[in-house]
Amino acid sequence: MRSFVPPLSRMLLWPSLIIALSFWLKGGGEVGGGFPAGALAGLAVLLQYVVTGREQTRRYVVVRYAAPLAGVGLLLVVGTAFLPVLAGYTPVSLFPRPGQPELGAGAFHLHTALVFEGGLMLIVFGLVVTVIDRFALSTANGGDEGP
Amino acid sequence: MPVLLLPILLALACAPLAYFAGRWRPGAAAWVGAACAVAALVALCWELTLGPARLVLPWAPTWGLSLEFTRDGLSGLYAAMALSVGALVVLYSRAYMPHHLKEEGRPARDEVRFQVLLLCFMAAMVLLVTVDDLLLLFIALDLTTIVSYLLIGFDRDDPESRAAALLSLVLTGATSVVFFAGAMALGLQYGTFSLPLVFERAANDPASTGALVCLAVGALGKSAQVPFHFWLPRAMAAPTPVSSYLHSAAMVAAGVFLLQRLYPLFEPAVAVRDGLLAIGFLSMTVGSLMALVADPFKRVLAYSTIAQYGYALVLVALGSEGAPLYVAAHAPCKAILFLTAGAITQVTGKKKLSEVSGLRHSLPVLAGASAVGAAGLAALPLTVGFFKDEVFFHALVEKGPLFMAGGLVGAGLTLAYTLRLWWGLFGGPRQDVPAAPRLLVAPVVVLAASVLVGGVLPGLLVEPSRAAASASMVRGGTSTLELAYHLDARAENLLAVGAWALGAALFATRLRWTPLLTRVLEGTSKAGPARGYRVLLHQLDRLSTWLHEKEVRDLRDRVASVLVPTGLLGMTVLWVTPLRDRFITGSVGWADVTLVMALAFASAAALATLRAQNHLVLVMLISCVGFSLAMVFAFAAAPDVALTSVLVETTFTLLFAGLLALLPDRRLERAQQEAQKPRGRDRISAGIAGVSAFLLSWSALSHLQADRVGTQTVKLAEVAHSPNVVAAVLTDFRGLDTVGEMSVVLAALLGVTSLLKLKGKG
Repeated sequence: MRSFVPPLSRMLLWPSLIIALSFWLKGGGEVGGGFPAGALAGLAVLLQYVVTGREQTRRYVVVRYAAPLAGVGLLLVVGTAFLPVLAGYTPVSLFPRPGQPELGAGAFHLHTALVFEGGLMLIVFGLVVTVIDRFALSTANGGDEGP
Repeated sequence: MPVLLLPILLALACAPLAYFAGRWRPGAAAWVGAACAVAALVALCWELTLGPARLVLPWAPTWGLSLEFTRDGLSGLYAAMALSVGALVVLYSRAYMPHHLKEEGRPARDEVRFQVLLLCFMAAMVLLVTVDDLLLLFIALDLTTIVSYLLIGFDRDDPESRAAALLSLVLTGATSVVFFAGAMALGLQYGTFSLPLVFERAANDPASTGALVCLAVGALGKSAQVPFHFWLPRAMAAPTPVSSYLHSAAMVAAGVFLLQRLYPLFEPAVAVRDGLLAIGFLSMTVGSLMALVADPFKRVLAYSTIAQYGYALVLVALGSEGAPLYVAAHAPCKAILFLTAGAITQVTGKKKLSEVSGLRHSLPVLAGASAVGAAGLAALPLTVGFFKDEVFFHALVEKGPLFMAGGLVGAGLTLAYTLRLWWGLFGGPRQDVPAAPRLLVAPVVVLAASVLVGGVLPGLLVEPSRAAASASMVRGGTSTLELAYHLDARAENLLAVGAWALGAALFATRLRWTPLLTRVLEGTSKAGPARGYRVLLHQLDRLSTWLHEKEVRDLRDRVASVLVPTGLLGMTVLWVTPLRDRFITGSVGWADVTLVMALAFASAAALATLRAQNHLVLVMLISCVGFSLAMVFAFAAAPDVALTSVLVETTFTLLFAGLLALLPDRRLERAQQEAQKPRGRDRISAGIAGVSAFLLSWSALSHLQADRVGTQTVKLAEVAHSPNVVAAVLTDFRGLDTVGEMSVVLAALLGVTSLLKLKGKG
């Protein structure tokens, strides 16, 4: 009997990633944030590994470059935290400063906290996907590590 | 661009330029590097004619930190010394390194690496002498330490050279940490790290003795003074150009330089200066005596360096104006002798005095040039060295007869070991060896010429040494140093003549006392600080092995080794900080029923893990605990935490399950069997950890000022443009913590990647 799980999981990938992105973007105002966004995106990829196997999943560019993405994330985080120091602010000064006007609508605001959260998201995503990938590589027939 | 930076920038550019030249053609690295160093020297000399200046570049103004540079006589003198000797040594290495690398069986391209490191060291040295800030001073000091490690251990296939590099790194690194402690203490005491401000405030409020001792220890370690002296003879395992640069004009000079730069702080602290005086005399004695009996010629020079910096230390401790002149006059003389030693080793392949003799016939130019260097070191007239002893005697005459006698003996010993060295190399029965390459001899001749010029025309030296002495004086002081030959019976002259007579007598009778002295020194070196270092290293090694065995014997002990100390620490904290109403029990109403149910579920799952049948069930039960807690957060109106917890829990359950698939079945079964049989000490460790965690959480929750903290945080989060309080705390209020945590996550990622890669290979 053909299982309905593989096509369903493939269909779920993009919606999950979009929800993850929305978690990231609205994190400042509502439930969400970079950390859950990264974890959710990682889970979406994990599902692909379990169902379709390592080879199929690695066709996506983000999956192949997950580890460097984590590095980029750390650069974003460190950059947001310490670049203000060069301009004479204390570390982790976010802009616009309290009291300054900001652009945005609803839960989405243009704020350097978004860059910071984006860095968190990339780091968490990179960690989860890289670890899954290494597990899949180490098991003899990659992809059957799920419960 | 501020003019002051030009020599520094040129010095910093040397190493990269040499690297790119070396990429093009390995031989070009030395010429480009030396040319750049000479350019920096010219720029420096031009700037010194413009008079003293300071440059302040704000760096992190909110922390009160700035990059401060100075141009005064002291920095000018030391920078000129580092640049000129550096350029000559780089050219010398051009002739020395290809032969050395061939003997070591390494590719000729490694010469570029060597030149680049040497030039890096030069840049670090120039930086060290030009900065005018305690923190920058420490950073530059550590830069020199790190580069010197790479240079001393350049022959990386040779275990002796690696051990020597490690020893010098450990000693100079450890003492520079002590220096850092002193610098921090001063910074806290005066509220600034900027040296002129520190000096200004120290004039009314003298620096604490502890801080000064810390600073002095850092300087003594660098200058290889007793009791930190033993790294220097061992460091002679380095290629000769390294020794001739680092251990004559640069690294060891850094220590004495620090003391001179910080002298205004030491001026009122008479007790500390007396201690330095004693250490200086002790180093003089130890170094001179060892130099009298050492056989490898580089060792003779190393001990001589210890002794000579002992002199310089005495001058600094006495507050003499001649201290900078002493260091500057000693550097070229010592560099000449080191370079000579290297040239002889290259030509003859020998390293010991007992193996060579009579080289004056085959190497006449080298013999002549090194005779000038030796005469300079032994303070004979017509060389610049004469004046270094003149200022030394002048300082001692003011102190009294006992000091004069000590100085006389020290100078006599210097002449004796210098004669022994030169005569051992060039005197005695004739040995015929091939001629030395011209490039190997030329730097020695240039240095010898400078030593002679300084000796014949002392007027040239007066101005720079006065400027240097004034720079290290208390604010407003100016030096009145005089340098000239006086043909009369003043005390300095009498002492000098006495020292020469003593030295000549010692040299003439050397065959009588050498065996006895050798035996005595060998006996004492068994109980010296070098032995202490070895014993300490050995004991530390044993301690770490013991801890390692205790900790990693099995998994449960390893976990206990983290949990038990943490638990004890927590309970100690509770014990020593008694609070009123430490443990409060609140009330439970009907509204809390869902919360209690979720908590009960979590507790039941946690208890059930004790009886789990296999690892998969265990993973499921642990994730059950996690999900129940997520439920608690959801009921407690913390949707953010609940969401994150669900996602993290899901991810980790799946990853755990994947990990189980990677482990061999037999290992899992064995672990399962062990886990079902808890030992007595397992129960105790679990009890300590559990009770401590329980009490700490209870105490923390009892004092949770929900209203104050909560409302305040919500208000601040609104102001910070982030209505989501969790996000505001994570990114803004506690942003620096998050940065730290994220670096840990990335480190874990790197660890996982490399571990699983290893497994894949095995």
